[in-house]
Amino acid sequence: MATFMIYSSKEKQALELITAAKSVGAAAVKAVCINDEAQANALAAAGAEVLLINNDAISLADVAAVASALGQVAAQLGADTILLSSDRRGKEAAGRLAAILDAGCLTDISAIKANGDKIECQRNALGGATVATQYIASDKKIIAIRPKTFDAPGAGSGSVNAMTVDVKASAVKLIETKTRGGDSVDIEAAEALVVVGQGLNSKDDLPAVEALAKKLGGEVACSKPVATDKKWLSEERIVGLSGKKCKPELAIILGISGQVQFTVGIRDAKVIVAVNSDENATINGMADYILTADMHDVIKEMNSSL
Amino acid sequence: MNIVVAMKQVPDLQQVRIRNREPVFTDVPLVLGNIDKNALEAAVAIKESGDANVIALSAGNEDVEDTIKEALAAGADEAFLVLDDKLNGAESGVVAQVLAAAVKKIDDVGLILFGEGSGDNYSGQVGSRVAELLGLPQVAYASALELKGDKALVTRSLEDCTEIVEVTLPAVVTVLSDINEARIPSVTQILKAGKKPKEVLELDEVGVKIPPAASVVTVSNLAPETERKRIVVKSVAELIQSLTTEGVIGR
Amino acid sequence: MDFSLSKEQLMIQGMAKEFAEKYIEPVAEQIDRENKIPDNILKGLAELDLFGIPYDEAYGGADGGYDGYVLAMEQIGKASGGVAMTISAHSLALSAISFFGTEELKKKYMTPSCKGEHIASFAFTEPATGSDPKSLTTTAKKVGNEYVINGTKRFISNANWPGVIVVFAIDDQTNKPSAFLIDKLCEGYSISEPWDKIGMHGGMLLDVYLNDVKVPLENMLGGPSMGYPILQCGISFGKVGVSSTALGGTLAAYEEAMKYATEKMHRDAPIAKFQAMQLRLADLAIKYETARWMTYRLGWLANNVKDPRAFARDAALTKTFVCDNMVDCARIAMDVHGSYGLMNDYKISRIWKDSIIGPQIEGVADMQKMIVAGVNLAERK
Ligand SMILES: Cc1cc2nc3c(=O)[nH]c(=O)nc-3n(C[C@H](O)[C@H](O)[C@H](O)COP(=O)(O)OP(=O)(O)OC[C@H]3O[C@@H](n4cnc5c(N)ncnc54)[C@H](O)[C@@H]3O)c2cc1C
Ligand SMILES: Cc1cc2nc3c(=O)[nH]c(=O)nc-3n(C[C@H](O)[C@H](O)[C@H](O)COP(=O)(O)OP(=O)(O)OC[C@H]3O[C@@H](n4cnc5c(N)ncnc54)[C@H](O)[C@@H]3O)c2cc1C
Repeated sequence: MATFMIYSSKEKQALELITAAKSVGAAAVKAVCINDEAQANALAAAGAEVLLINNDAISLADVAAVASALGQVAAQLGADTILLSSDRRGKEAAGRLAAILDAGCLTDISAIKANGDKIECQRNALGGATVATQYIASDKKIIAIRPKTFDAPGAGSGSVNAMTVDVKASAVKLIETKTRGGDSVDIEAAEALVVVGQGLNSKDDLPAVEALAKKLGGEVACSKPVATDKKWLSEERIVGLSGKKCKPELAIILGISGQVQFTVGIRDAKVIVAVNSDENATINGMADYILTADMHDVIKEMNSSL
Repeated sequence: MNIVVAMKQVPDLQQVRIRNREPVFTDVPLVLGNIDKNALEAAVAIKESGDANVIALSAGNEDVEDTIKEALAAGADEAFLVLDDKLNGAESGVVAQVLAAAVKKIDDVGLILFGEGSGDNYSGQVGSRVAELLGLPQVAYASALELKGDKALVTRSLEDCTEIVEVTLPAVVTVLSDINEARIPSVTQILKAGKKPKEVLELDEVGVKIPPAASVVTVSNLAPETERKRIVVKSVAELIQSLTTEGVIGR
Repeated sequence: MDFSLSKEQLMIQGMAKEFAEKYIEPVAEQIDRENKIPDNILKGLAELDLFGIPYDEAYGGADGGYDGYVLAMEQIGKASGGVAMTISAHSLALSAISFFGTEELKKKYMTPSCKGEHIASFAFTEPATGSDPKSLTTTAKKVGNEYVINGTKRFISNANWPGVIVVFAIDDQTNKPSAFLIDKLCEGYSISEPWDKIGMHGGMLLDVYLNDVKVPLENMLGGPSMGYPILQCGISFGKVGVSSTALGGTLAAYEEAMKYATEKMHRDAPIAKFQAMQLRLADLAIKYETARWMTYRLGWLANNVKDPRAFARDAALTKTFVCDNMVDCARIAMDVHGSYGLMNDYKISRIWKDSIIGPQIEGVADMQKMIVAGVNLAERK
């Protein structure tokens, strides 16, 4: 029977990993927390056996130290199946830890399923054109699971125990942390998304988009260029391969051409509406409802009739 | 100082076709990964503003000898290649061992750059694995990179924040595609690429053995099935009507 | 026989494709509307050596061969016929200079042109003659150690840009045409307003007025009375560019038709479901492939011309086929689009207008056939 260990720098994602471990048959879940007592308590309250490392020498910005700490705990616990969150910090640690443990490693996992003694994992491949199902055959396994793939677990009774590790002097010094462009949203959690692309004329049209999102009880999201090139919206609103994978009930996609790097982030939505001035836009191929029109007119009309 | 840029040969994704949900690779040309080109551009930018020699490092089958010309045309000064048929599509762990062993054979390495993820697999492990194997510090997801003496100032872009970190060289940095716009090489640069110095090693010369059993097994790799309704509506009113019937608005 | 491209050829093709898709395609419609190529596009073409692909490095070229030239021009022509035509006419002049010029002339005139600092022109056509070199009226009169040139040239590509122009004039010493290299915008050189032509907008077409333009003797190209051979030979090289431009347009027509047929819905399936559409798509594929290999072969032939007459024939037959073929393809692709294709919103409308130009330039189609038959019949004797 596999020994499961989980770690994420984020409490919410660590909780999801507990559910993930249980979904593939983990009887007990060991969780590692680094310099985060609040997270330790939350994970314990969800039934995990938490090992809390309090060590000022470990900075999250120094992945070498984080991976080294995780490696030491894994060795002490005899953990062979390690679940990490596939956010950027998690992915950065995954490869490093895999090298330490000589483990097989899969990242960006969007579904896992036990099949006999194998854990079958799904991930996008070839830029999102295909979905690969893979499992790790080596003794040690590291699986990094995308945030939001699992819900938080119910309550349980776990424990928190202190753990000590040795880390080398750090060669990485954190100079400054800047939080992102002010607005903090969670487009993955939204039931409805109004997704805008480069068809949007200007930043001044955003208030109307926001009004529509509000009316639908959802959030505004965007294609990558709108955030990274035009900087009209923050990067946490990007849908797609390098953004978020969203599964809203309703996605209204306006002024987006529908490149595969974008569509992988929205193809699991229940109902997709495509509004594009180009009746042949690729996005129409993956929509349930297609409206060929100027997105600005559509937004205005929807705002006034909803 | 040498800057090593690890670059992966991948099938040109734009030309991969899907037939019966299976990807078809026949006759698809091999190219260097897109984000790897941003890593190269970052290295060349450092070279142009200071003093560095840029080495493109790649492990793969013998086609890499041709494919690497893309890097040599786009500003790499030389190529360092480890070639073996078995390296084609080899898993991250093996590739990392080969790259780490190759880096050890290069003198005076200050910086080892990677793309944040490869064009085809995008698993983002190799940079971190190489850093660990070489015992070097690392910063991933760089959206800016600047050298300051024996240190590098790197902006790491995370989901909810950016960190500016100072890392002591030598170090491993993986870059995001938005760190820069990779240059398009000119005809002259393309034609001179093949004449730049190139060191080619075989697998046993770097002392890496490929384990007989794969640590990651692929069960299937299929295009997802999509069944969308694709109903063309003529007006906003008609759209709202349909969405109400679907039960996704007006709840 | 090996029909595959080398890595270098693939890279030249890929580089031109990337530049065309990233920078030209987004403004192609604007170029068509405004009849002007934005400066940053010209600068980008220059930086990538696209003004000097086939020429010797000693004269500022990239030494990429006419095979590389064909591959790059196809991609540029696919994005914008006007941009490709600009390079094609420029290269026509450079090929003539490269083939017939002295070391000094090549150094002086080709270097800035290959680097894209200048854009070259080739001036044969006159108001009274297009296809008949015997009817030239522009005159070159020898006065001391220079020639004085007078006359009007019609439909001269790139005549507005600074750089060299190859001018054909009747030499008063021999009463036959000689060719001269003149600096455009020199004293006595003036131009008309650009002609408002049907397509290939952005490619500038003007009349040139030569009024007592003084040219040093050493600027005579290839020697006295060499006008006719230079014209024949230069234009043969020019046809490599014209053919590649048309090939690019053909590819664009094919891709537009494919895109439209698979995206335009009839009831609940794309119109590509109709067999009539499939036949058109097949015809386009057949026509593109035929034109492609003919044009690539012409590029390869141009790299090593041993017999100018045989090359003139191959250039003439390739150009005739490929340019007529683009017209056919534009028509077929237009039929796939139906009325929508007639709207300037659709790229096929531009391709259609561009397509009709190829058969009428660098020798009209009939003249090409006369060259083909002439060379073949002469060889038979
Ligand atoms: C490695 C990699 C990762 C990437 N990751 C992502 C990602 O995570 N997310 C992402 O989005 N992209 C990503 N991209 C980029 C992606 O390939 C596309 O370039 C991008 O999605 C295009 O954005 P867009 O559809 O908004 O813009 P465009 O492609 O420019 O499309 C704009 C659309 O708006 C329509 N339009 C214009 N005006 C109007 C109007 N008035 N009314 C209605 N419609 C109008 C046009 O017809 C067109 O279809 C990635 C690319 C790479 C190489
Ligand atoms: C976009 C564009 C760019 C151009 N660029 C240049 C340039 O850079 N430099 C330049 O010098 N010119 C240029 N021209 C001019 C072009 O090369 C000539 O117009 C072309 O060669 C045809 O000449 P023409 O129009 O006078 O036709 P004509 O010679 O008058 O031919 C008209 C018709 O008469 C027939 N015909 C003519 N002679 C004969 C014959 N002997 N036997 C049988 N039939 C015959 C032909 O079949 C043809 O259909 C350009 C033209 C265009 C449209």
